[in-house]
Amino acid sequence: MLTSLGRSVISFIGYLGELATLASETFRSLFVAKFRGQLFLRQVYEVGWRSQLVVIVTGMFTGAVLTAQTYFQFSKLGMKSAVGSVVAVALFRELGPVLTGLMVAGRVGASFAAEIGTMKVTEQIDALRSLGVHPHDYLVVPRVTALLISMPLLVAESIGLAILASYFVGTQILDISAPYFLTNLMRYTGARDIKMALIKGFCFAVIIAFVSVHQGLTAKQGAEGVGRAPTEAVVICSLAILVINFFLTFALNILFPYGS
Amino acid sequence: MISVRKLTKTLGTQEILRGVDLEVARGQTCVVLGRSGSGKSVLLKHFIGLFKPNTGEVWVDGEEITHLGERQLGPVRKKVGILFQSAALFDSMTVEGNIAFPLRESGLTDEKVIADRVAEALEMVDLSGEQKKMPENLSGGMRKRVGLARTIVSRPACILYDEPTTGLDPIASDSINRLIRRLQKRLSVTSVVVTHDMKTAFHTADHVAYLHEGRIYFEGTVDELRASHDPLVDDFIEGRSGDE
Repeated sequence: MLTSLGRSVISFIGYLGELATLASETFRSLFVAKFRGQLFLRQVYEVGWRSQLVVIVTGMFTGAVLTAQTYFQFSKLGMKSAVGSVVAVALFRELGPVLTGLMVAGRVGASFAAEIGTMKVTEQIDALRSLGVHPHDYLVVPRVTALLISMPLLVAESIGLAILASYFVGTQILDISAPYFLTNLMRYTGARDIKMALIKGFCFAVIIAFVSVHQGLTAKQGAEGVGRAPTEAVVICSLAILVINFFLTFALNILFPYGS
Repeated sequence: MISVRKLTKTLGTQEILRGVDLEVARGQTCVVLGRSGSGKSVLLKHFIGLFKPNTGEVWVDGEEITHLGERQLGPVRKKVGILFQSAALFDSMTVEGNIAFPLRESGLTDEKVIADRVAEALEMVDLSGEQKKMPENLSGGMRKRVGLARTIVSRPACILYDEPTTGLDPIASDSINRLIRRLQKRLSVTSVVVTHDMKTAFHTADHVAYLHEGRIYFEGTVDELRASHDPLVDDFIEGRSGDE
């Protein structure tokens, strides 16, 4: 059993090493390779624009349902006016970045792994190399940069829509006073919460980008290999987002303590 | 033009190449024969740096490329083009996009010049006017021709062919064999053709090497191959499995 555990630990360390190598080569590509503006914009469209539906639905319904649940509990304690601030803090600090991260991992991470995996097994990546084009420059850099730029914006959009939905449900469907809702929301949320949301969004983008691209580049031959790449990308990204979020929460609470 | 010395390569636990020595002279067409799984394609991909050997040396045009990194291999890959077994066309691009790709990547921006070069390459592979088609709408033979057009459009000094007729019907295979021969004459390029198809070998080769159990077992001209009385070579040429 110990041998098997040892093997798993070594294999995990090896995997982290491969991700670090991919990240450092991508970083190098950013400086030594020519910038491919068209590919970058196409990826921004794929990552940012085509994620709109999932981000809008996730944001609005999370805000709405969180408001309703918080209201049902807080109204018993006579704290209805605090609903807006509690929902906003929860959205900025946890739910916004984590849920957007999970949705983007499912949509974008899977597509990165599937596209690159298919290109690998059909020799298209070897064809790029044979034509003197580094696959990192052509395939990895545009995807990674597009995701790193789009993700914080998607997180901000998701939280903004969630708060709008929260305001609508709280003041139009439930009986929270609009001025109280807004006053408490503004009083208890601030720049530190926005920074925390955007930093978490950026960190999750790093995870999704490198994990899914790595799954694609290491896809095994055949339909099974290509099929497995996106599935594993989504599973690894989702687990990594949830686990790393825990540590990020502690680290960011030191940087941006609540109530400061 | 290309030479490998004492090349060994292991993939996983399998020893694919066990000390291959081969020399391809400039302007010559060398056909590497061998059974499926004998390591022909692995050997071919060493010539362009797509594989790194465990031991041994690879020389291209007087330069040792064995230890060159991916970015340092760029200039070598401008001299040597490869036609992949699957053609490896970029499926998100049209025929024109595929063929223009190496030109655009090399910094050519004049669309008129690019269009003329694409048309010229397509004419050489008998596919004039097919610029706007997507790879998914092409037959196997047409895909290979487009792959070949993409290879020759940047005018390499050497072309590598990985199983150019595999998966094609006899008529399409014959047409590809003739095309290889015609391009050799028209472009005066060095060619290395990896195949198990004897028709391709007899039709295109100046020089033949037979790869068996990770080593070059036989080397000579087509006439020498035909005249060989070695039972192993003879069985391969005649397609005899030896099974009852």
